[in-house]
Formats: sequence, C-alpha cells, structure tokens
Amino acid sequence: MKLIKKGAEADIYQTMWQNSNAILKIRKTKNYRNSSLDSKIRKQRTIKESQIISQVKSFGIPAPLVYFVNLKNTSIIMQEIPGTPVHDLSESKIIQLSKTIGKLVGMLHKNGIMHGDLTTSNFIFFKNNVYVIDFGLSQNTIKPEDHAVDLRLIKEILNSAHAKIMIPAWKNFLLGYKSVVGNANYVKITKLVSDIESRGRYAQVV
Amino acid sequence: MLGLGIESTAHTFSCAVIEKKGKKGKILSDVRKIYRPADGEGIHPREASRHHIENSSLVLSECLDEANIKVNDLDIVSYAGGPGLGPCLRVGAVVARSLASFYKIPIYPVNHALGHIELGKLLTGATNPLVLLVSGGHTMLLAFLNKQWRVFGETLDITLGQLLDQFGRSIGFASPCGKNIEELAATSSNYVTLPYSVKGNDVSFSGLLSATKSVAKKSKVDACYSLQETSFAMIAEAVERALSFTRKKELMIVGGVAANKRLSEMLQDVCKRHGAKFFVVPLKYAGDCGSQICWTGLLESQIKKGVSLKDTFVTQSWRLDTVKVNY
Repeated sequence: MKLIKKGAEADIYQTMWQNSNAILKIRKTKNYRNSSLDSKIRKQRTIKESQIISQVKSFGIPAPLVYFVNLKNTSIIMQEIPGTPVHDLSESKIIQLSKTIGKLVGMLHKNGIMHGDLTTSNFIFFKNNVYVIDFGLSQNTIKPEDHAVDLRLIKEILNSAHAKIMIPAWKNFLLGYKSVVGNANYVKITKLVSDIESRGRYAQVV
Repeated sequence: MLGLGIESTAHTFSCAVIEKKGKKGKILSDVRKIYRPADGEGIHPREASRHHIENSSLVLSECLDEANIKVNDLDIVSYAGGPGLGPCLRVGAVVARSLASFYKIPIYPVNHALGHIELGKLLTGATNPLVLLVSGGHTMLLAFLNKQWRVFGETLDITLGQLLDQFGRSIGFASPCGKNIEELAATSSNYVTLPYSVKGNDVSFSGLLSATKSVAKKSKVDACYSLQETSFAMIAEAVERALSFTRKKELMIVGGVAANKRLSEMLQDVCKRHGAKFFVVPLKYAGDCGSQICWTGLLESQIKKGVSLKDTFVTQSWRLDTVKVNY
C-alpha cells in the first residue's frame, strides 16, 4: 500500500477494493494523547465519519462510497476520488467554485448535518463535480449555532489561506448557501456567525 | 542601533534594551516586576496599573544601568500599544511618551502578540514557522502570508492561559497557575473524561473549564491531570490540522504557556509525525517581557521613522491579524 497523505488525524493510503482503486483511511494511535482519550476519539470519529458519508450520499451530496469499516484498527476503506483539492486550484477557479461549495454546505445544513471541518482541502474537484470528504468531525444537528460554526470556519480559512481572494470567494459562498437554505435561515445563521466572531479574543467591539 | 522596549499589557511591567546589528539582536538587559494578586484571585486592572506606576521608574533605571547605557544613547523607544488591559497599557505608553518627548527619541507602538512572535524568531532561529501563541491573552495558530500574520485557528472563547488560571484559582492557587497545575498533574495518571471540543482548526475551552471544576470537587490531582491531557490534546490536534493544511515545516511555540513541559512534549511528538522542526522560545522569554516589544520596535524602525506623539495610541483590542508587517 502506498502512503499518499499524512493528514492531521489519519494516514491515507492508496489501495484496492474488489478491483477498483480505493482509499484506506486509518486513524492510528497518537502516543502523545492519553490512551483512553485517544481510543475514544478514534473510535467515535471512525463511526461518525462512515455513518455520515452514507447519509449525505442519500440526499445527493457527491462523496466517496464507503466500502468497509474496521473498528478494530479504526480504519475505513472508501472510494478514491482522483481529483484535485480545491485548495490547490487557481484563484479564479476557487472563486468560481465557492458558490458550488456554498450550495453543498447549504444542502448539508438543510438536512441537519454540520461538517465540522470545512476547509478548502476537504472539497475535491473531479470531473466538473465538487466532492465533499472528511466527515470525521461531523454531527447530526439542526442547531443554527452549529451551522454557524461551520460557516465561521470556512470564512477563517478563506481569510487566512486564500486572503487575496477572500472577498469574492466569501461572497460567492454566501450566494450559493443562501440559494439553498432560503433567505430567513441565511439571515439567522450569518447573524450567529457575527455573534461567534464577537465572542472571539480582541474582536472589534464598539 | 539601541532600542528600549516597554511592556505593560497585563501582570508584567518590564523594560529591556536590545542592540541591533543588521539582522542580529543582542539583549543587553530585560528587567521585570510582576504584579501578584492574592491567592485565588485574578488580576485587578486598577491594582495592576498602580503596581506598574509605582515600579516604572525603578525598572527603567535598573534596565538602563544593567545595559550600561544612558537615555541619550537610545535610538528608539517602543511600547506595547495593545492588546491588553487599558489601565496597564496606559502606564507603559506614558513612560514611553515622556522619554520620547523630553529626549526627542523616535517612538513606536508595538503589537504585543507580534512581539511574542518576533522575539521567538530571533531567539529560536525559526524562519517560516507555523506559530502557536499560547498565553493568558492569546490562543492562536498563525502563519505569515502576504505581509500579515493570518489566523489559521484560534480559541472561540477563553484562552489556554485563562483556562489554566481560572481553574487554578478555583482550587486556591495564585495566578499565573500553570506551574502549580503542571506539578500537581505530574502526580496523577488517572484520566477522567472531560469535554473535548475541536472545531476544525479552532478550539473551545469554556465547557471544559466548568466540567473540570466539578471533577476537582472529588480529586484536585485527577482534575489537574485530566485538564492538561484534554486541553493540550485539543491544542495538539488543532496544530496537526494547521500543519497539514498549511504544509509548514516548522512549528514555533511562544507565549507564557510555552513554558509547560507536557505541552512541549506533546507538540514535539506532533512535529515528529509531520516531519516538522520544533522550536520553543527559551523559558526566560516565554512570558511577557520588554524584549519582545523592543525587538519588534527595532524591526519596524528599519522602514518607519516612528509616529508622532498624537498617534501614540493604546488599544485594548488590537488584533494581530490587522497589523501590516512590511520589514
């Protein structure tokens, strides 16, 4: 098996599953973590991720198919999406795809799911489609506050990693998001995003 | 070039003199007086500022003596303009303004958080790091991009320093409590489950604080151990996420909590896994000090002539990610 990425949480290997290319995502023990905390986190996230991937596929979010879950070594074998992470695309392409990403996030929220780790590395552009991956921190929740946490995270990423194109990308994201969740929800959730930001350290307060 | 830096954002009143030659800086003196509230109590801004006022001339003269220079030898004076406690910040600013106007020395307001980073880079030799700034005032993951430090992750509520201090005070320690908690934690290995809240690259500590307080009713030792294990694991995970996202090959940890050995140990392990170099600011300069302000002021003086007195502001909420870094 070929190691293709050492992610934050898991190691990603390229492998085969019944004659098709597949990805093995394995959450290995982290020695620096207290062992009972470590095994709890790894197990919980493996279960959550596999469950939620299946859920989101059922309402039409492009995401990898889950082939096999092994709770003993906390690993998941899933379909390989051989595209490019949005993070690595050209700036103009990222601006353009921000709208699609906004729509996808809107669909997740509308169906009661928060992604929990919305970064531009977790959207893969493949064959003119944007796939969503990495549901390890996802939750089933309809609480608007949780949805706002999602939005604030992607905003933070755009503002840091993609600072040059933050304004048009964020605008497009919100356009896409609004078109799916509707104006009332959009107003409510973006207001909560400002609330979260104002709780931050040294936020601009009047 | 000789600079004087004055730090007075919170507990510490400190003056330092640094001599800058090219890209190198040599700390000639760094004198501090730290305000200590009573056991179990937090910092009282008015009392802290009073402490700073009473100690300011002593610290200043000691600092100049130790560096073996006179005020007239100084090329610039810089002070911490924020973020911090208003009454405390004002003391440092007043001292700096007095020197600047009486002796006609160019004056520079410096962002305190930027000071932590710049001094860390000077002392560790890190060149392009992901920075973990953990102190009483900050818990932030930062990387430099397009002339500004950008926030890749931060706390959504209280800081790691506040978490440790507020918990420590609730069991009767005096702020800053990090060291006491670390010592007590080292005597336990009984992990009690506590809320673990990582949201992407961000963390949230307020729920953890309340939960730990209730664990402490049964066992203070277990509470300290579990608090450190949980909060540091959260930080370590956020660091891993940010390292993997930014693909940086260096991690530098600065700020008061950088002094904690358990945290360093965990982050060292993270760096090993990601093939990144690990830098931690020397213990003596982890906490607030005049050197951080002085060095940053000296760096700014390469491109700016100082500000006029009417622009020598102090700002309680001056976010690091709004500062343009042009040197």
